[in-house]
Amino acid sequence: MKTSAILTLLPLWIAQLGFGPALSAQNVPVLEQILPNGITLLMVERHDDPSVAGGWVAHVGSANESPGITGIAHLFEHMMFKGTTTIGTTDYKKDLEILAEQERVRDAMRSEESRMRAAWRRGSGGDWQKPENWTPHYRELQKKFQALVLEERKVIVKNEIWKLYQSHGGHGMNAFTMDDMTAYFVGVPANKLELWMWLESERIFHPVFREFYAERDVVFEERRMRYDSTPLGPSVEAFNSLFWQSLPYSWPTIGWPSDIASISKPQADAFHATYYSPQNITLILVGDFDPKQVSALAEKYFGRIPRAKNNPPDLVTTEMIQPAEKRMNAEVSANPQVDILWHTQPFGHKDSYALQILAQLLSSHTGRLYKGLVLGRGVATDVAASQNSQKWAGWFDISGEAAEGHTPEEVEQAIDAELSRLKREPVPPEELQKVKNNFAADQYRQLNSNLSILQNLIWNDGEGDWREINAAQPKLEAVTAGDVLRVANQYFTKENRAVALFTRKPENASTPSKQ
Amino acid sequence: MKPIPLLILLAALAEPFQAAHSAGIPARPEKLSFPPLKFDAPVPDQYRVTLASGPVAYLVPDRERPLVNITVYVRTGKYLEPAGKEGLAELTGWLMTHAGAGANAAAQFEERIAFLGAQLDSAIGDTQGSVSLNLLSKDLDTGLGLLRDVLYAPRFQDDTVALRKQQTLQAMKQRNDDTSAIEDREADYLSQGETFWANRYSTSNSVESITPRDIRDFHFQWFWPSNFVIAVTGDFERNAMVSKLEKVFAGGPPPISADPLVRTGTPPPIPTNLTFAPPGVYLVHKPEVDQGRVSLLLPGIQRGNPDYYAVLIMNHILGGGGFTSHLMNRIRSDEGLAYSVYSRFQPGVYYPGTFTIGFQSKSRTVAFACAIALEETRRMSTQPVNAAELEVAQKGLIEGFPNFFNTREKIAEQFAMDEFTGRHAQDPQFWKNFRANLQAVTPQDVLRVAKKYLTADRFVVLVVGNREDILRGDPTHPVDLKSLFGSFHEWPLRDPMTLQPLTPTN
Repeated sequence: MKTSAILTLLPLWIAQLGFGPALSAQNVPVLEQILPNGITLLMVERHDDPSVAGGWVAHVGSANESPGITGIAHLFEHMMFKGTTTIGTTDYKKDLEILAEQERVRDAMRSEESRMRAAWRRGSGGDWQKPENWTPHYRELQKKFQALVLEERKVIVKNEIWKLYQSHGGHGMNAFTMDDMTAYFVGVPANKLELWMWLESERIFHPVFREFYAERDVVFEERRMRYDSTPLGPSVEAFNSLFWQSLPYSWPTIGWPSDIASISKPQADAFHATYYSPQNITLILVGDFDPKQVSALAEKYFGRIPRAKNNPPDLVTTEMIQPAEKRMNAEVSANPQVDILWHTQPFGHKDSYALQILAQLLSSHTGRLYKGLVLGRGVATDVAASQNSQKWAGWFDISGEAAEGHTPEEVEQAIDAELSRLKREPVPPEELQKVKNNFAADQYRQLNSNLSILQNLIWNDGEGDWREINAAQPKLEAVTAGDVLRVANQYFTKENRAVALFTRKPENASTPSKQ
Repeated sequence: MKPIPLLILLAALAEPFQAAHSAGIPARPEKLSFPPLKFDAPVPDQYRVTLASGPVAYLVPDRERPLVNITVYVRTGKYLEPAGKEGLAELTGWLMTHAGAGANAAAQFEERIAFLGAQLDSAIGDTQGSVSLNLLSKDLDTGLGLLRDVLYAPRFQDDTVALRKQQTLQAMKQRNDDTSAIEDREADYLSQGETFWANRYSTSNSVESITPRDIRDFHFQWFWPSNFVIAVTGDFERNAMVSKLEKVFAGGPPPISADPLVRTGTPPPIPTNLTFAPPGVYLVHKPEVDQGRVSLLLPGIQRGNPDYYAVLIMNHILGGGGFTSHLMNRIRSDEGLAYSVYSRFQPGVYYPGTFTIGFQSKSRTVAFACAIALEETRRMSTQPVNAAELEVAQKGLIEGFPNFFNTREKIAEQFAMDEFTGRHAQDPQFWKNFRANLQAVTPQDVLRVAKKYLTADRFVVLVVGNREDILRGDPTHPVDLKSLFGSFHEWPLRDPMTLQPLTPTN
């Protein structure tokens, strides 16, 4: 088999002990190789401790979903831990039979759910997700399905992937899903490299989505924990949907409750076929290994996965240009605060660097917002600013909590005043240098372990280009006061923003008891 | 040719095709063989230096990146707060690096740190304080000067103190907003007692009464070199760093009191007067959430307890080992009742810790999940674990051992903490023997400690969530939460500013 390898060999850490901008010359030595089936392999050799951090990125996230299956990218991530044809079961044949039978019952349940939804739309049935509103037929089907779950449990080996990693000293095994990517990672002792190759290639190649419907419930609990049952969760979710009009960042990665409760295993199978093809995956290894050995093992284990005939579809929808400012007023169980979002630019866009510098100028205790709003006017207790550069779009976020005796509107006005100043006056050279010095030091802070280097590469690769791990810093360094002035004027307009004002919901009448 | 047979043919071919394609790849990972990996635990004394100026320091050079990281651990803490001044330790800790130091007023001090791209942070927790500096090695001398100013000459200027007090009071208003904050607080009240020092929370009165003078005195009393333990990692040469550190710590602040006790400031022992609540369910009503947060609590153990290794393994199997644990398998994987499910059996350093099982489930399935947690706890203390799961737990902790030390920062900080907490003096071979001690644990040991500590009839169960839905339960899995753990108590929310119990409302 012929390997077309693109090897980018970079020198070891250049730790120049000079002064000034020379320190920005960081280079993480990343080796890149593309296997014949299209899978990308990134390697960083690092012999600091006898371990390897291994991960992979699937270039798919909630932005690739559509109404009805929102949350599927994330639910799918959960399913990737359920095993393979040989891991997770004592009898694969029997397991497959039961899974097929389960789907037949589920099909009947889905028809009944459709009827219950229709009844609910007409106001003649309650929320079908509550057990007391189930039709007798649906109860019957539930029982039937539950019996099949119990039958399958006899041939299931619970969470066997975790057992295998754990008993070989694996640690920190986890995965995450975002708008733009899904990533899986784990740390293993250096001598267990081949175990990683075996397990990860098997679960990409031969995954089996067991316990699908129980896992759907788990994800629903995750949604309740992270969003529904938190003071700001529901309002922030609504605000996000208000901000994005056409781009599929408008729905939450966890999915709408109605969709989580309805996603089917066949939909997950189709999703895997479309998006988990070799040409859509990057493997990343950081640690104590010989790259030649890693390369050979990757070809052996991952090279056997056939390239998909079709590349996954590109996301063609772009965000509409906002015709008018958007505003939201929400009462919440939290201190009064304001959150403002502006549409900016995505990952790698030339303006994204000046916007990052601008965010840092506004942030921290020596930044413009803390000085102006907390120490100066005294209208806020805390403030934050960030530029978020993602694959398909970017946005700028400024938030602040109103100080006692002040309103979120006053915080909003004070933020506007600080932005006006940035639009009028160029940033003084010392202030710009201070911000750049922070970026220069931070680049090293992010790279203190195999796992943190892995995370950094995962992030950059998932958003668009792993090379940004080394390439971003010089671009930040090159930003001028003129650039900052220009982007401030270009993006911070009223028509380009959404504003959320949060006030405290009045308490119900609880009073201190008599002591 | 007809398309349908073709498909069948392809499907039939798929298996041998894969097998041929996967030459040399076994069907199961047990067939793989791995080269041996020898890992020796790092030895503390290799890094340990007693500075002439007093503190013990652990120095772990790391020339990979041009950064230096220094953490100073300080023997102080919330337990030393005078009555009525609750919140003093936390305020002092934060203000040390934010309210001016040495020749610099607050704003100027923060500008200097920011211009270096450095991070200088300080905090005082329950039983220790810390000041940490992280910066580029080229700026080390400047940074060490600023660190010395923070340790010995913080200014605590009035306007910053006033601002921080106001921020603290405002944050206090959010004490009942998030159910997890309520759960954390009430779990401590129930497992340690309302009068235990760690549960003497700040109130609006206590914070308002704190003066800049209180803060200065509290700082002055404890920030002496004899109370410091230091961890240093990064881009330096050991001997050069030792002489730099001597300069930082030599000579304390000018004495403000003639009382030698105040000047030396050796902290008194940490009080250990814990009280555990009577068994039963304690339900805090939080009507607006649709998920209940649950903590099942039992008295735990203290460091040095000979049962430690068996307890560690037992907890790993019950709920500490993530996806291989009984609780995770039953409550999450089988029934889909929770996203996060765990048990925690962390031994306390100065007083016994609390054994906790925690999860969150939709209101209607809280009782069902509680019943499973109870059942699994009882199973643990009545049936021996099987050899296979014991092996997974042991190997997980033993093979994963290098992970405790996989960065230089972890090495320095672990050893500095061992020095600080006295483990280095009491049990210097702790890490060297750690794996052998785990390996020696038998199924009988696990059963013995489970019987001894998992006393399910003593469970104190804290539930925070919507009372009506939680008590209504799930019709497909009916469980009576009110009788499941003996007694049932409605447990009041507290006024966020005074922490006085509120009258429950409907």
